[in-house]
Amino acid sequence: MKRRLRNGLILGVAALIALAAGAGFALWDRPPKRADALFALSLPDTGGTRQSLEQWRGKVLVVNFWATWCEPCREEMPEFVRAQTELGPRGLQFVGIAVDQADKVGRFARELHLNYPALIGGYDAMEVSQGLGNHLAALPFTIIIDRQGRIAETHLGPLKPNQLRSIISDLL
Amino acid sequence: MDRLPTSTGLLRRPLRPLRERGWCIALAALALGLALPAQGQNPLPPDKAFRFSARFLDGQTVEARFAIADGYYLYRDKVHFAVEPATAGLTVPPLPEGKVKEDQFFGRVETYRGGLVVRLALKDVKPGQQVVIAAESQGCADIGLCYPPTVQRVTLALPEASVIQNTPSDKKPWFN
Repeated sequence: MKRRLRNGLILGVAALIALAAGAGFALWDRPPKRADALFALSLPDTGGTRQSLEQWRGKVLVVNFWATWCEPCREEMPEFVRAQTELGPRGLQFVGIAVDQADKVGRFARELHLNYPALIGGYDAMEVSQGLGNHLAALPFTIIIDRQGRIAETHLGPLKPNQLRSIISDLL
Repeated sequence: MDRLPTSTGLLRRPLRPLRERGWCIALAALALGLALPAQGQNPLPPDKAFRFSARFLDGQTVEARFAIADGYYLYRDKVHFAVEPATAGLTVPPLPEGKVKEDQFFGRVETYRGGLVVRLALKDVKPGQQVVIAAESQGCADIGLCYPPTVQRVTLALPEASVIQNTPSDKKPWFN
């Protein structure tokens, strides 16, 4: 009987450890609160002029990591253009960081009539995205920041329009 | 009779549910523990989604192979091979045709699913010599994700006799 009780206890402890490990990993996986590493970035736009992300602090900021060679990235961008047009006057600002070549980004931005900045990112930008939860350095990866500079949401993969609008409307 | 254990024969019955409950709790907690971080879909890292391997077929031929996981695809024009040292003299044959897809921005593109096998020719490798086959690739997942170009390296030694080494080594991602 003692042995069975002991086995039961061992199983119970193992179960608690597994639960704690899972919960711990889930908490670790959550985005950090502040977006200071992003605001510290200064990246060239398609014309070669460096743009600091700090200039958009205070707005509801949607930073989208993308590339022209990433079809899912391109597919979600027309919705970003619409949201920028509709909600820009209320303080919403999209910024695209393209892990790509400037000429291709410029061509695509013209085709799409992109109405928000398209910056060119390299290792530094991707490292920042990895630090903010993009562990696979995959695209698209989107970070939504509130007016106080806190990260409200990070999302790997395409954002559904209603999902995006719901997050943004809570912050505006 | 089945209320309280009063003999060794009866001891087993009331205790079995306790043991079963223990297993159930453990399994449920394990499932929950594993499920918590796995909210949503868990994409594979690129070296698992596009697993590269290579082996000598003979003194002048290396078989390079990508095993592409279900739900993932590679772009044909983004697959490149190199050999170190370059003096080994690599010749890459035309890659097999992929599945053709019309891309709105890039036009006609070809993709591979399932796998890709290419026979690389090496001009000058001596028995016992080590070479590194570097394979660059870039692809996406159907769940709506793309990976930057990634390089995977495999170190091979041309066998003196018939022993073949095949050691996956470091993977180096880069961008642009």
